[in-house]
Amino acid sequence: MAEQSFPEMALLAQVVAEDSTEAPSFRTGGRGSQPTAPARGTEDSKPPPLLSRRNSILSRRSSFGMIPGSRRPSIGPWMFHRRVSFSGLPILQPILKTRLGNTYRMGPEEGCKFNVERVQRVLEGTLASALESTVYSPQGSAPLAQSLTELLQSRAKQVVPPRYKLVCHVVLGQQGQQSLVVASRALWDPENDSFASATFSNASLFAVATVHGVYFE
Amino acid sequence: MIFNADEAHNIVKECIENVLGKADYNHNKVNQWTAAIVEQSLTHLVKLGKTYKYIVTCAVMQRSGAGLHTASSCFWDTTTDGTCTVRWENRTMNCIVNVFAVAIIL
Repeated sequence: MAEQSFPEMALLAQVVAEDSTEAPSFRTGGRGSQPTAPARGTEDSKPPPLLSRRNSILSRRSSFGMIPGSRRPSIGPWMFHRRVSFSGLPILQPILKTRLGNTYRMGPEEGCKFNVERVQRVLEGTLASALESTVYSPQGSAPLAQSLTELLQSRAKQVVPPRYKLVCHVVLGQQGQQSLVVASRALWDPENDSFASATFSNASLFAVATVHGVYFE
Repeated sequence: MIFNADEAHNIVKECIENVLGKADYNHNKVNQWTAAIVEQSLTHLVKLGKTYKYIVTCAVMQRSGAGLHTASSCFWDTTTDGTCTVRWENRTMNCIVNVFAVAIIL
C-alpha cells in the first residue's frame, strides 16, 4: 500500500529480525497489552486496516485523511507517512519498546553453550563446498564475500543454541606472494561467549571465516 | 542506547596510528602489532563506560598488488548493537579493523 511508510517498513524488517532473538513468551505478552509496533509485525503481514481501534490508540494528534469515507488527500510527498499533522509534516512514530517478563536466568541452560568444535566443523564444511572451484576475480569476489557471510551465518544459526547473538566475519583474498595476519580480541563473558574460525585456500584465493557467539539475556 | 560509530572510529584510528605509524611491513613483528592494535582499541573502548560487549578484529596484509575483501553479517538487535570499520594503509601494508559492539542488559 502506498500509505505504508518507508521507516515503518524498515522497522518491521528490524522487528522481524529482532523477533527471532526474543523468547517465545514475548508474543503472548505483546498482544495482551497496548498493540505495539512489534506485535503488529508478528500478527499480520498486510498493513492493518484503516478502520480499527488501533488508530485511535496510537494517534496522538488529529491526522488528515485517516477517517474512512472522507475526502482522500492527493498524493504528495507526505503521503508516504502514515501519520500526518495538520501542517502537512509527517509525524514520526516513536519506536515503542517492548517490555519482557523477567526470566531470572543468569546464563545459558546446562548443555546449551556455544559449541566451538561443532561450529568450526560447520564453517569448514561450508567454506570447502562453497569455494571449492571458485577462481578469484576482482569484480566477482566482493559479492561473493557478502553472500558467503550470509550463508555461514544461516548455517551457524542452525547449530548454535538459542539466545546467542552471532557476528560472522569473512576475509577473502587473492592468493599471491603476500602474507596476512588476522587477529581478534573480545571483551565478553568467557564462560558463556566464544568464537570459532576456519580457513580455506586453493590455487587462486584464500578465505578466513570467524563466527563469534555472544550470549544475550 | 545506540552505538556511536564515530566515536569508535576515532578511537581505533588513533590506536592504529600509534602502533603502525611509520613502520614498514615486517613479518616478525606483525603478530605483535595486531595484538597491540586490538588490545589498545579494546582498552580505550572500555573506557567509554558503555554497557557493551566488544569484539575487535584486525587484519594486516602486506601490499603486493593482491586483492582482499572482507565481509561480515551479524545476527543481533539492530536498535542497540552496531559496528564500525576502519581502513588504514601506508606504503607497504594495509590494515582493516572491525569493531562489533553487542549490547547487554544489566
